Amino acid sequence: MTSRKTLGLTAAFMMGGASIASAQTTLEAGQEVDMVLLPKFLGILVFDQANEGAQEAHAELGNPGELLFVGPTPENSVAGQIEIMTTSATQGQGAVMLSNNAGDQIAPAAMAAQEAGTRVVTWDSPIPGGEGEDVFVAQVDFGSIGVVMADMAHSILGGEGQMAVLSATPDAANQNAWIASMQEALEGDAKYAGIELVDIVYGDDQAEVSYNRALSLVDQYPDLGVIMSPTTVGIQAASKAMQDEGLCDQIKVSGLGLPSEMVSYTMNGCAPEFALWDFRDLGYLTYYTAYGMATGQLTGELGESFTAGRMGDYTIEEDPGRPGSKRILMGPFTVYTAENVEAAAQ
Amino acid sequence: MSWLGAIRSWEGFLFATLIAIFAVNATLSPQFLTLSNQINLFQLSIEKIIVALIMTLIIINAEIDLSVGSMMGLAACAFGFLFAVGVPAGLACVIVLGIGVIGGALNGYFIAYVGLPSLVVTLATLIGFRGMARVLVEDRGITGFPDWFDALGQEGLIGDIPLALFIFAALFVILYIVLQKSGFGRKTYLIGNNREVAAYAGIDTARHKLILFTASGAISALAGLLFAARVGAVRGDVANGFELDIITMVLLGGVSIFGGRGTLVGTLLAVLIVLNLRNGMALMNITGHIQTGVIGLLLIASVIGPRLNLSGLLGRPRPEARP
Repeated sequence: MTSRKTLGLTAAFMMGGASIASAQTTLEAGQEVDMVLLPKFLGILVFDQANEGAQEAHAELGNPGELLFVGPTPENSVAGQIEIMTTSATQGQGAVMLSNNAGDQIAPAAMAAQEAGTRVVTWDSPIPGGEGEDVFVAQVDFGSIGVVMADMAHSILGGEGQMAVLSATPDAANQNAWIASMQEALEGDAKYAGIELVDIVYGDDQAEVSYNRALSLVDQYPDLGVIMSPTTVGIQAASKAMQDEGLCDQIKVSGLGLPSEMVSYTMNGCAPEFALWDFRDLGYLTYYTAYGMATGQLTGELGESFTAGRMGDYTIEEDPGRPGSKRILMGPFTVYTAENVEAAAQ
Repeated sequence: MSWLGAIRSWEGFLFATLIAIFAVNATLSPQFLTLSNQINLFQLSIEKIIVALIMTLIIINAEIDLSVGSMMGLAACAFGFLFAVGVPAGLACVIVLGIGVIGGALNGYFIAYVGLPSLVVTLATLIGFRGMARVLVEDRGITGFPDWFDALGQEGLIGDIPLALFIFAALFVILYIVLQKSGFGRKTYLIGNNREVAAYAGIDTARHKLILFTASGAISALAGLLFAARVGAVRGDVANGFELDIITMVLLGGVSIFGGRGTLVGTLLAVLIVLNLRNGMALMNITGHIQTGVIGLLLIASVIGPRLNLSGLLGRPRPEARP
């Protein structure tokens, strides 16, 4: 008994020692590496904000290399992302920071880039199968997004009513994971028993398509109480649709939105509650991660820790949503209501 | 033809443009001339340029096939669906090519024998084939194909050169002989110029069109399979909108949208121009929006250039001048 305890203590001590040995890496600034920030496509505010964060980190780390912000056009997103990934490898870029919109279709190009020595760091939306990806910088824990969305629906519906989901593209890895986690929360907790999820539709992250899908949901489900849209494009389009049709009294909109885009809808009651994280921070943390890897200061092993400037310390861990893949968890996020949305929209 | 005369033909003009783009790219980008980049340049658009070859014959025949992108999508998704339900990948490929033949023949039947305009028929199948593709994969991505299948799209068949590039080259040679050296080719031009005259000359114009559209469907299905192999995954939006890029390349190649005029060499040169231009701009980090704009300007120039009566300079006959 005694010896066993001692053994346990020794093991604990050794593990403690190991974690001290691989303590925080503080990234050395000023090393030259060219990197590419590749959004799903250009012309979306959150991606511009992520770029601002990356540019901030780029300046802070004094990287004499180049940080490029290039992306495809919305209608050519998949082929365009594959093309930019391939071209970046040809150019010998140190790292590509990818918000993936191509599902697993990007995996062969990403693996080829890795073979050519380009590190692939995903952010916002990972490569579903994890192939071709060094690490995924996750904005928030994908499981907790589901609970937050379920809670917002619960509060808007007063615990009882119908909900429909208006998502982005059908195989956007991030949105699908969040919807799945919301479904899990709805089924797993008796608190949500009164909420009925009636449908999941896709607006392809295009304003007009999302607007029309929101209106057809209204036609299809006369008793609908809330449209939950886990995408900044969808939530804004749905809010506008409900406002334009004068439906905000019966049907509320919620989900993930940008304060600056949602402020008017929150104040007029069309979208009383929504949530989001800071995309500037996401771009900033992604840059630190990619810089560390591309300069060889980070290896990308599980358990590796580093300091990301003003945001503090982060650790590479196993992604619970995608076994075998690695992630860095940024978190947490904010729920916006009429109380705090105006300040955040500034 | 004198050296100056060669430059004055449309193909000559395209060739000079290509050389200029090539030279600019090679000067401005150190990676441009590397073998791997030259292969990637084809590989990134290989499915589109394969379909552009058969599209050349369709447009010379005074028809259009808008359904090619959707057929590529349907082929890729049908492959994914069949694979997911347990059909061996090799058999699935054969079935998919069969779907291409049937889909193409369906277009051809309504155009050639019912007499509907190809614009209308293939617009309908553009929507229909895409709808079927989306029904088959139901808003999800399908991946995990056998290694041999992915390798066909992603690895070199001989050296670093992938299978699809050999298919493109072989198809070019075959269609070149068909169009430029055979009776079938001469009939293609004649029907494109004037279908009534061709009919009075005893040509079975309906059968001719049926063959062309069936070939277009089959080749598009093959291109869809190649796409699935290259990216190793399929979903409902595969090849969405590809038809416009394909038609753009053919028209830029000097093929008249009114039919009866154009060559495969012109299409090949236009393909090389578009690919090199895109690749050069990508290597110089020019974003997608500007790339699209530049290609658009090029197409406008190719359409209005001859109308400005620069024929003294370019030698491309004005469309009005056709018989």
